[in-house]
Amino acid sequence: MANTSIVSAQLKIGDPIPNITLKNQNNAAKSINQFKEKFVLIDFWASWCAPCRLGNKKLVKLYSSANSSKIEIIGISLDTDKTKWVKAIEKDKIEFTQLIDPKGFDANTAVLFGVEELPSKFLFNEKGILIAINPTEEEIIKYLN
Amino acid sequence: MKKTNNIYVLLVSIVILVSTKANAQISKAEIIATGLTCSMCSNAINKQLKSLPEVVNVETDLNTNTFTVTLKEGNTLSPKAFKDKVEKAGFFIGSLIVTTKSETIKQGGYVVVNNASSTNPEVQIQVLDKGYVTEKEFKKLSKSFKNIETYASNNEDDFHIKIIN
Repeated sequence: MANTSIVSAQLKIGDPIPNITLKNQNNAAKSINQFKEKFVLIDFWASWCAPCRLGNKKLVKLYSSANSSKIEIIGISLDTDKTKWVKAIEKDKIEFTQLIDPKGFDANTAVLFGVEELPSKFLFNEKGILIAINPTEEEIIKYLN
Repeated sequence: MKKTNNIYVLLVSIVILVSTKANAQISKAEIIATGLTCSMCSNAINKQLKSLPEVVNVETDLNTNTFTVTLKEGNTLSPKAFKDKVEKAGFFIGSLIVTTKSETIKQGGYVVVNNASSTNPEVQIQVLDKGYVTEKEFKKLSKSFKNIETYASNNEDDFHIKIIN
């Protein structure tokens, strides 16, 4: 039953950031655990998810105001239509890392993290340990100070 | 009191069992869910629907916000099964259109409220009862169907339907 661990896997507080490599909008492969000594906020979203699009606005602000040496934001889209995803990135003026796992809720990354709804956020500290699930903006800022 | 309740539960169960038998042969269900949050942003409805052993596949259309459920042949599910699952996921049905053998709706349990009839072996029908349309739509329909006694009685075991094609 090699699959069991994948199916039942669900990230818990205290777990290390998984070693996952996905492609960005330029088709370049990026690993999500490449940022050493920085907080990493992973945001699962999709172009068709209205609450996510509202959330993007907040993340764009957070990213431009936060100290970039302290935090990295990675958006992971579950869009199945890549074109719509790329358009949404442009429209929402997202400058932080964007990756895609184009299989909706069945995407491996979504299953591994235990994503059951969008948006979903996971905050890892500078040691790569999960410290908060769905933190508010205020909570994120508090961690950085 | 408890005894009465038990008897009531038993009676209801029998009625449900009998009626599900009569509402046989739904091959496809198209569901639009409503709720306080974005229905497509949650995996819950998908999971609940897939938990039915009669379900072969659930597809989502992000443009129309529709869940299309394909069912095994020969199943005895009634429209209520979809309502129960969607509500268990924390949402409500905004619209339910099922594809079924036309003989199914000639059996008991279905009341056709529009004058349409179909000669196709399979028909598409929309369920119009409370809980199968939006609250607003239900209010509107209640006015239009004020002469149909069974519609107002909100009986869970009969389905008022509109034949779409």
